[in-house]
Amino acid sequence: MPAQRAPRKSRIAGRIVPAVFVLALVASNARAGDAMAWLTRAAQAARELNYTGTIVYQIGPRVESSRITHLFDGGREYAKLVNLDGPAREVVRSQGEVRCYYPDAKLVRVEPGTFRNVFPSLSAEQQESLSRYYDFRVLADDRVGGRPVQVVVFDPRDGLRYGHRFWSDRATGLLLRASVLNERGESIEQFSFSDLTMNARIEPAMVEPSWPSVPSDWQVLEGVSGDVVSQDTGWVVTRVPPGFAKIMEGYRKLRGRRERIAHIVLSDGLVSVSVFVEPGIASTAPAGPLQKGGLNVYRVRLDDHLITVMGETPGATVRQIAHSVAHR
Amino acid sequence: MNEQISRLVDGEIDAADLDAVCAHLKGEAGMATWTCYHTIGDALRGETAVTRSVRIAVARQLEGEPTVLGPRLHGVERPASWAWALAASLAAVTVVGWTAYSLVDSTPAGFAKAGEAGTMRAAQLRPPSVPADYLLAHQEYAPANALQSVGPYLRDVAATSPPVRPVAAQ
Repeated sequence: MPAQRAPRKSRIAGRIVPAVFVLALVASNARAGDAMAWLTRAAQAARELNYTGTIVYQIGPRVESSRITHLFDGGREYAKLVNLDGPAREVVRSQGEVRCYYPDAKLVRVEPGTFRNVFPSLSAEQQESLSRYYDFRVLADDRVGGRPVQVVVFDPRDGLRYGHRFWSDRATGLLLRASVLNERGESIEQFSFSDLTMNARIEPAMVEPSWPSVPSDWQVLEGVSGDVVSQDTGWVVTRVPPGFAKIMEGYRKLRGRRERIAHIVLSDGLVSVSVFVEPGIASTAPAGPLQKGGLNVYRVRLDDHLITVMGETPGATVRQIAHSVAHR
Repeated sequence: MNEQISRLVDGEIDAADLDAVCAHLKGEAGMATWTCYHTIGDALRGETAVTRSVRIAVARQLEGEPTVLGPRLHGVERPASWAWALAASLAAVTVVGWTAYSLVDSTPAGFAKAGEAGTMRAAQLRPPSVPADYLLAHQEYAPANALQSVGPYLRDVAATSPPVRPVAAQ
């Protein structure tokens, strides 16, 4: 992982240095522009294309396959994901709402709302963070799922972030493989298309859930309905890691509880970290770190609150954030 | 094996490993380790007067294995508090296990009671998993997730994530 190449260059004495530095700055600005352009094209392709295919999902040593179908029709996005290994489960996205079906537990989780804080509508501050804290490079072309792809990498410039490698279809820009890399450059989580049919004819039924009406003995867990309203929750992250900025703060109704749970989101332009503060927690509530592939979680008890921090960053980052959450 | 014993003492052992550990504890070496770990817990709680011979035994044990206890305890940074975490997790097991036999009592009866307590504890444990409702709420804000449409939700429905139903829905 490259560490602060530019500052080191500038410390070397010599007249040649300022010129080299300026060139590097210009080049990195150009690359930053390329990064946003690449991200925007990939996000647009994911949203606006019709496709169906098989995804192989690797998380640590485990490998699972899923079938994905995506339809963009009348300005609306519909998608369905069906896992092919283990207990049958589905994810269905429509009207901006995401539903996760767990027939083995007779459970449906509903998350209203759609992706926010995404390319190209990333704030200027986020875009600046992205270029400053990640080194965006285009690598040699490759082939995924039988299709020629362009390979790009977002190399983190510090240890607070993971690396990200993306393989996108040359023809359409659609992301065909994504890998999260740890500090040793090893893939800790990867999703990859093993076969793909682009511009497929997708019937609406192909993106509908297998349970159009939820059976009566199932439990339905819904997040808050309507837009999350930006509010001051009285909680603050006192030591925000460099490159991260708060992009959202508000209350959620989660886990069937009456008490509101504060939700603060920090982002560095590529990944995000969520801070949840849940009141009325017993002193025996679990604390400490958890990890699932590229996602790290850290929990801290503060008085009778449980602070849960989770994000697509190394464990040290979420731990640092968790220990700096305070009430104003 | 010492790691397994330490896990049993922490209350973190897998049910599958429990039989192997209990079998090992029947031996002298295993019993010494078990005793040692309990002794450390008690000494740090300040509840028991630790005899000189036990102190020596503990010191010798630690000399041989300086790192066994340290890495397991999650996320606690201040030096002293890992010991309290160890002591706290011992509570359920120790009530039965410790009173069942003294520092030198390695009778089958005493040992069996400790094994029983261990089984109870192991059964109560679930492998900790990422809170599913928080995860779902979090995922809509990660910019990179938008590159994959529903792809990111693979994390939520992967076979490795059993969705434990919440105990109380209000």
